[in-house]
Amino acid sequence: MRKYAVIYRSVLMENMQYAMDIVMGFISYFMFIFVFIHLWNYMYSSPEELISGYTREQMIWYTMITEMMWFGARSGTVSGQAATDIRGGNIAYLMNKPYHYTMYILAKHTGEWSVQLPMYAVFAVVMGMTMVGKLPAFRIVTLLAIIPCIILGITINAVFKLCISLISFWIEDSNPFQWLYDKMILVVGTIFPIEIFPAQMQPFLKLTPIYTVCYGPAKLVVDFNMEKCVEILIAQTIYLAAGCGIMLLIYGRGVKKLYVNGG
Amino acid sequence: MLMAVKNQIRVCVLSTKYNIMREMLNKVTFLTNICFMALNNAAFIIQWVILFHLKKDIGGYTMKEVMLLWGLAASTFGLARILFNRAFSLPELIINGKLDSYLVMPKNVLLSVITSSTNTSAIGDLLYGLTVMCIFSFSVGRLFLFLLFTVTGAVIITAFAVIMGSLSFWFVRAEAFGVHMINSVISFATYPDGIFRGKVRFLLYNIIPVGMSVYMPVHVMTHFDMRSLLTVTGYTILISAAAVFVFYRGLRRYSSSNLMAARM
Amino acid sequence: MKAIQAEGLAKTFRVRQKENGMKGSIKSVFHPRTEEVRAVDNVSFSVEEGEILAFIGPNGAGKSTTIKMLTGILYPDGGKVEVLGIDPVKKRRQLAYQIGTVFGQKEQLWTHLTPYDNFKFFAAIYDIPDREADARIRELGETFELGAFINTPVRNLSLGQRIRCEIVASLIHRPSVLFLDEPTIGLDPVVKENIRQLIKQMNKELHTTIFLTSHDIGDIEKLCKRIIIVNAGRIVLDDTMQNLKYHYLNKKIVEMKLQEETSLVPAQGITILKEKGCHVKLEVDTTKMRINEALAHIDAEHVEDINISNVPLENIIMEIYKGRNGGAA
Repeated sequence: MRKYAVIYRSVLMENMQYAMDIVMGFISYFMFIFVFIHLWNYMYSSPEELISGYTREQMIWYTMITEMMWFGARSGTVSGQAATDIRGGNIAYLMNKPYHYTMYILAKHTGEWSVQLPMYAVFAVVMGMTMVGKLPAFRIVTLLAIIPCIILGITINAVFKLCISLISFWIEDSNPFQWLYDKMILVVGTIFPIEIFPAQMQPFLKLTPIYTVCYGPAKLVVDFNMEKCVEILIAQTIYLAAGCGIMLLIYGRGVKKLYVNGG
Repeated sequence: MLMAVKNQIRVCVLSTKYNIMREMLNKVTFLTNICFMALNNAAFIIQWVILFHLKKDIGGYTMKEVMLLWGLAASTFGLARILFNRAFSLPELIINGKLDSYLVMPKNVLLSVITSSTNTSAIGDLLYGLTVMCIFSFSVGRLFLFLLFTVTGAVIITAFAVIMGSLSFWFVRAEAFGVHMINSVISFATYPDGIFRGKVRFLLYNIIPVGMSVYMPVHVMTHFDMRSLLTVTGYTILISAAAVFVFYRGLRRYSSSNLMAARM
Repeated sequence: MKAIQAEGLAKTFRVRQKENGMKGSIKSVFHPRTEEVRAVDNVSFSVEEGEILAFIGPNGAGKSTTIKMLTGILYPDGGKVEVLGIDPVKKRRQLAYQIGTVFGQKEQLWTHLTPYDNFKFFAAIYDIPDREADARIRELGETFELGAFINTPVRNLSLGQRIRCEIVASLIHRPSVLFLDEPTIGLDPVVKENIRQLIKQMNKELHTTIFLTSHDIGDIEKLCKRIIIVNAGRIVLDDTMQNLKYHYLNKKIVEMKLQEETSLVPAQGITILKEKGCHVKLEVDTTKMRINEALAHIDAEHVEDINISNVPLENIIMEIYKGRNGGAA
């Protein structure tokens, strides 16, 4: 375990250098949310109106949280780098090192987001408090459940994206699939809560990664209840276990193929 | 003078042709990139179907107008990235000293640089924009305007990218700043301007060039107005001049790859 | 007329500094420290038309920076430059029509196109009409023997073939001055020799002025009549090749194989470089001892084999780098 901690630490240090770049990233985040604030201000005709059970504040905070996770965990490590390692043959060198390649990539990714995400979180809270308004029902204590839920959500997302990258063992370009996945998360997951979709679609959406990756954490922030929390955490655990299983399976198969064909 | 312009255009056309030929070396990747970009844009139709389901009019726009807005935004960015893709990665060239080979050519440096690469998926953007425009609000006059505004918009966005990118001549950090400013233009360009009010509108028509590249053209296409058309044209010329000025000012500070060498 | 004239040329770069470790990383975010590096410091020289000049120095000496100021890539901080009577800063484009550049490490060709298409592209850049361009390509193609691969995409060519194409591309517009920045880097000896021949031929036939930087002593020895050595941004030597050799070649290396092991009697002017069994290697300083005296000093009867040679130019240049500038190299 210690070696993953060292990988984590060196990436962390490297990223301190890029702190300014992260702050620059706030511009994109700010503009994006800014548009949304205006959009929802326009959509809600009166302050008391509810859309699909959400108040105006809840609706905007929902997007702020999902986008915070999206921006905060954004990195090319699990997608671009992994795919390039495999296609470019670099994997042959990384494979023989005394660590598991997938864990190395995940540790590296974690090193990246654990600097970025807290910075985005602070920025999001400041922005929300000044431009949107408080969430009346929010209680600090609930963070104890929400933070693990956010971390789990990001990790599940990383595992899935890494799985897609691992397909590069077989196909030339995994980017289109990466794209499809991102589109599903972005368009369907981060912009609207699941409740806004037609009732027939909702059970189906709950089965997609959207439920554990974006909806779960954001929902708990804007509208916490214990029952929901337990449900989401269980779903996340199942997803993580299944995701890791698939990941290791694909990786194992891929490596075997590499040995047979000699890269 | 005229001869020089003709020769310059000939070189730019050749450049673009060779760029696209390079991208077409791998036909499968070329086509998938184009299709996926078109699909990517189409995915956002879901968002608007849902929003219009909640409310019939958003910022004075109906579904038809939002699609026109989306179409113009896509084709504008598409054209800019097909012809002038390098304008969007200018900082990389400046910081790593890759402008050398353009500087020893007897041609306009800025044009030679920005036309030196292309973006395949941008072709998908352009095609998507044109398709959406033809499906949702076709008329011959409007198509003509649409094409015109695609060109002015592409020039405006490119000029903005050049200005942002040229900041790298002065500040190393400008690279990230520029990328995010251009991203913001995209964020704004795909939502109706009617949802913004007051100072924000001022900002969108002046600092971030989304008003003149997308919003005003959409208004002209729905309710024709000569004055707005001329305003857009004038703005295009103005911002291009500004971009040229900033770029050449910065070029004096260009340090080639010597910084890299000195660091080692 | 002078082809190149530089006076008091200077260029300073600002370089960011970072301290080590976590603390340094944090510090550099808030207080970035910069240091000024004088890449070129008051450099003056001139090059005659039709001359082949070697401009050499260790890495980071300011060679490339100088070339880049001469070609209009970099703005000088101080001093005056004129190439063919044109100021590269003010009339970059006008100058570009008359000079050619080859940067050995940077490629200017499109790799997915054939050399022929590339040349046509460069012809368009230099406003050469189609017919004239074709004639020129044929002519250069013959000189540089490109016939076999002129229609093969550049990415499929060998390094030697590529560099030949790079040179042809930079000659398409008949430049009067050619700047070659390490043109033979990474090439095998046969190709190197070939390139040198071509450069020489070009200089002779077309009277092209050639400004060459290289780390390869062979390039310099075989091509250049004049040499400028720079170190740490300053010129440390500007002389003809002949003078350089005359002044610095007053040492001879004597290698001998003796019949039996004998130890030499030390004498002034003779330094023993290596002594191993029957093999002896000496350096004779001819200002202190004439070479025949030296040979007399050695008991010639026991010599089985002898070889007398000059000190390699490489060593001389290294001496100059070290000797004149406090060992900055």
